[in-house]
Amino acid sequence: MSDRPGILASLTDRITRVGEGAIGTVRAAFDLVVLFLGTLGGLFRRAGRPRGAVVEQMHIIGNRSVVFVAVTLGFLGMVMVYQTCLQFNKVTGDFSQVGVQFIRLIVSDFAPTLTGMMLATRVGAGIAAEIGSMKVTEQIDALRMSGVLPVDYLIVPRFMASVVMTVALTVLGGAIMWLAGGLTAQYSFGVNPNIFYDLSLVTGVHVGLGLVKSLSYGMAIPVVAGFCGLRAKGSSEGVGWATTAAVIGASFSVIVLDFIWSILGFMIFGGSL
Amino acid sequence: MKDAKASAGPVIEFRSVAKAFGGKPVLKDLSLAVGRGEVMFIIGTSGVGKSVTIKHLIGLLRVDAGEIWFDGQRIDQLDERGFYPVRRRVGMVFQNATLFDSMTLTENVALPLRKLGGLRMKAALEQARVRLGEVHLTEFADRYPAELSDGMRKRAAIARTLATDPEVVLFDEPTTGLDPVSARRIDRLIRELADHRGATAIVVSHDLTSIFTIADRIAFVYQGGIRALGTPAELQASPDEVVQQFIRGKSSGPMETPGF
Ligand SMILES: Nc1ncnc2c1ncn2[C@@H]1O[C@H](COP(=O)(O)OP(=O)(O)O)[C@@H](O)[C@H]1O
Ligand SMILES: [Mg+2]
Repeated sequence: MSDRPGILASLTDRITRVGEGAIGTVRAAFDLVVLFLGTLGGLFRRAGRPRGAVVEQMHIIGNRSVVFVAVTLGFLGMVMVYQTCLQFNKVTGDFSQVGVQFIRLIVSDFAPTLTGMMLATRVGAGIAAEIGSMKVTEQIDALRMSGVLPVDYLIVPRFMASVVMTVALTVLGGAIMWLAGGLTAQYSFGVNPNIFYDLSLVTGVHVGLGLVKSLSYGMAIPVVAGFCGLRAKGSSEGVGWATTAAVIGASFSVIVLDFIWSILGFMIFGGSL
Repeated sequence: MKDAKASAGPVIEFRSVAKAFGGKPVLKDLSLAVGRGEVMFIIGTSGVGKSVTIKHLIGLLRVDAGEIWFDGQRIDQLDERGFYPVRRRVGMVFQNATLFDSMTLTENVALPLRKLGGLRMKAALEQARVRLGEVHLTEFADRYPAELSDGMRKRAAIARTLATDPEVVLFDEPTTGLDPVSARRIDRLIRELADHRGATAIVVSHDLTSIFTIADRIAFVYQGGIRALGTPAELQASPDEVVQQFIRGKSSGPMETPGF
């Protein structure tokens, strides 16, 4: 009887904490949307970004990820085709459908999503670490004091560069995946390249879906990573937290967007996918 | 030179300001008025809320309760854009000599000249070189912050803040981490700012030498409010044990220091 109020108090305390956590999450989601809209607005404020920043960011985000994306997607293409052929070998031994289906999937899903995942880690970590350390060393405050909007100055150039480079790397990664898959099929299972490299099943819908995914990943990654960076607190430890959160958040948003676009695509185009 | 009417009232006034972070109160009821042309020191133990206090003046933080007035205008409810004109008139030198890593010293100083002062790139860069010359950094003008010593970075950060000729300058621990010679130079610079340019300076500091050589008045922050306020002589003569403990730098006494 005597510890009843204690139990009650600890219960309300717990409920309060869960409630506060939920409110914090909703707020963060709201802030993220605000940042995204602010970034879109910043696209039209040319004076707000430093000269040459977009090109510089394209180099950092794009050129420096080329090898990383190419190697990863190349190997994944090899493994996927090898495993598929292995299974077909056991059942029918007919490889005529492997190539034509593979490129369909590359265009509508593999290339954009795998590239997106790779960039979410590499680019997401880079952006969050850089902006996070600017935050904890008060450089963001100093920017505001210098009459600069941090979103326009830091996020917008990364956003523009990321959108362009994600699409470009998706095309490159997809091509390498296709090529690597074809070579694997040819040399491991003797599949005729003329049969493998068959684009006849790829339609505008696949290209459109792949492009929409790629564009949305290109937008989501810098915004999520920048958001985590801007929320960094404390000192270098805070930057570490922000970087980890950015990698998780950006990868997660790629997966969620993939899911959403795939479902929408299926609902709209159904059988033609 | 100054308009007699304008200089009559305080240029900056905190009225019962309260600020908490995540339920943890930092400022509870802080009131302070700073006169025009004054060098006001804000002192107190680490983590007591000195930086938090001054960041409210330029809209980097927002009050939970209370009011802040600048030059007869209430500013605590302004939005980010509303603070632009305030930031043109109130500059801040950050604690870590916060320069932009990705820019040379000249580019650092040119940024506020372009964005706040409205200068074009070329004019801003020229002006920035002149400003760097004033703090004896001409030969380092094209270097990046990472290549410089702490003292040089601090001077460059001061040059950047002063480039737009603010009426009020906030200094957050300007001499912390500097050698005594560099520290005394910065003291002199702050004093000259008030004496020759008529600017108001608010200086957050632990540096007892600075405090007792250049302060006009000192505000001692303790437990979320101003515990003592007065000239250096008045503070030295204060009967308050807490004040005495702080200004004599004694480890034991009545002062409560959270975390120790
Ligand atoms: N942006 C912030 N978010 C959360 N807590 C903060 C923030 N800024 C300051 N604090 C906390 O407020 C307290 C006072 O900080 P500060 O004003 O920097 O101290 P100091 O007097 O040493 O300058 C500290 O406990 C600090 O952790
Ligand atoms: Mg401080």
